[in-house]
Amino acid sequence: MPKPLHDNICDETLFTSLFEKHAKNLHNFLHYKFGEQLNPKDKVQEAFIKLWQNCGKIPSNKAKSFLFTTANNLMLNEAAHQKVVLKHQQIKPKHYTNESPDFVMEEQEYLQKIEKAIANLTEAQRTAFLLNRVEGKRFKEIAELLDISVKAVEKRIYGALKKLREDIKEL
Amino acid sequence: MKREDLIQKWLDHNLTSDELEAFKQLEDYDDLVKLSNSMQHFKAPEYNTSEALSNVMQHINTSKQPPQKKWLSIAMSIAAVFIISFGIYFFTINQDTLVNTQLAEKTTIELPDASSVALNSLSEITFNSHKWNKNRTVDLKGEAFFKVEKGSSFNVNTVYGTVTVYGTQFNVKQRENYFEVICYEGLVGVTYKGNEIKLHAGESFLLLNGKLIEKEKELKTQPSWLNNESYFKSMPYKEVIAEFERQYDVNFHVINLDSSQLFTGSFTHNNIENALKSITLPLHLTYKKTDNTITLKRE
Repeated sequence: MPKPLHDNICDETLFTSLFEKHAKNLHNFLHYKFGEQLNPKDKVQEAFIKLWQNCGKIPSNKAKSFLFTTANNLMLNEAAHQKVVLKHQQIKPKHYTNESPDFVMEEQEYLQKIEKAIANLTEAQRTAFLLNRVEGKRFKEIAELLDISVKAVEKRIYGALKKLREDIKEL
Repeated sequence: MKREDLIQKWLDHNLTSDELEAFKQLEDYDDLVKLSNSMQHFKAPEYNTSEALSNVMQHINTSKQPPQKKWLSIAMSIAAVFIISFGIYFFTINQDTLVNTQLAEKTTIELPDASSVALNSLSEITFNSHKWNKNRTVDLKGEAFFKVEKGSSFNVNTVYGTVTVYGTQFNVKQRENYFEVICYEGLVGVTYKGNEIKLHAGESFLLLNGKLIEKEKELKTQPSWLNNESYFKSMPYKEVIAEFERQYDVNFHVINLDSSQLFTGSFTHNNIENALKSITLPLHLTYKKTDNTITLKRE
């Protein structure tokens, strides 16, 4: 294992670069896993503050997993096993439209179905699937982010897709 | 290429142009794309990295956190706890335990190794319980009966000599001009003026006014005073009186009497009238009791 360049991260420029690298991913991860109502932004901030307070003990190559673990635990502390519902954003009314009102209605209903179906996925499936579909991340990137194998990511995402389609058909 | 593989590759954004054409031919292509596109509605809200960073930095800089100082104070409090507890430990470890009995009082104490000591009246025993495992030694003034657990040697220091024990039961009596050791079980060594005398069960060692006195073999299994009785065999009468004074907290006033004549007999510790009769009748003495003073007179 290569020796990390810095054996700790008590350095503001290093800390800043870590923040820029991980903050957004961490935020999205928390959002897809736990939903918006638990305020992932605050948890990201808290996790980074904790990272700074413990900066002497954490080598830079361990910072990512420290951040993800800490933020995940903060979330779990706050709301044990709350059902996660990701609210879809309202479709923005377009200024021009030649879509019929029927079509708009159907669209809305479809989205509501998906919303329920997503809530029924497991945490692991939902997180991986949304990072892949919404954020456009490839399997390998997700695997690195979650510290799991590419194979596992593949399984989770494909499983999520299958389950979503089944649920939507049923509803 | 199989349908499943195509979908996997599509999910991984990894289709070649040929594969993409094949994927488009799938019957559920429209469904998949529709589902995938609709996911955009669940996008996480925009995360403003630079704004969040400045928030974090502001938080970090306002909360004073010189970690080293914090560590120093924690280290110092830990050190203080250690110093205080070591202080208490060393103070207590050198403290001797002292047990004594007053006039007309007896007591039994347990030593740290479950050996037991019965203390007769007006006696005192001192030992150090913290060093007991290394050094089984007690200092004795007065009279005591020991039941010693087996183990390393056990010493009883008195002003007249040291008694060394090898797991046994024995009685030590040290009074003014009087030193007696009786071994009831096992083996006892008495060091007197540099010589060690070994006592086997039933044997005794008696030193009276600096003179060694031979005694008959002891047949009892424990000293009589444990049963609240003082027994004497061919003892100078003044020793009997001295013991009486210790057991009943009284003073004797002796008139016209040779206190060195020998006495054989016993007296109880529970009833002063009976006890007085026990020590006076055999010698044809009369006694008169006023408060705490007893006057003895030859008839």
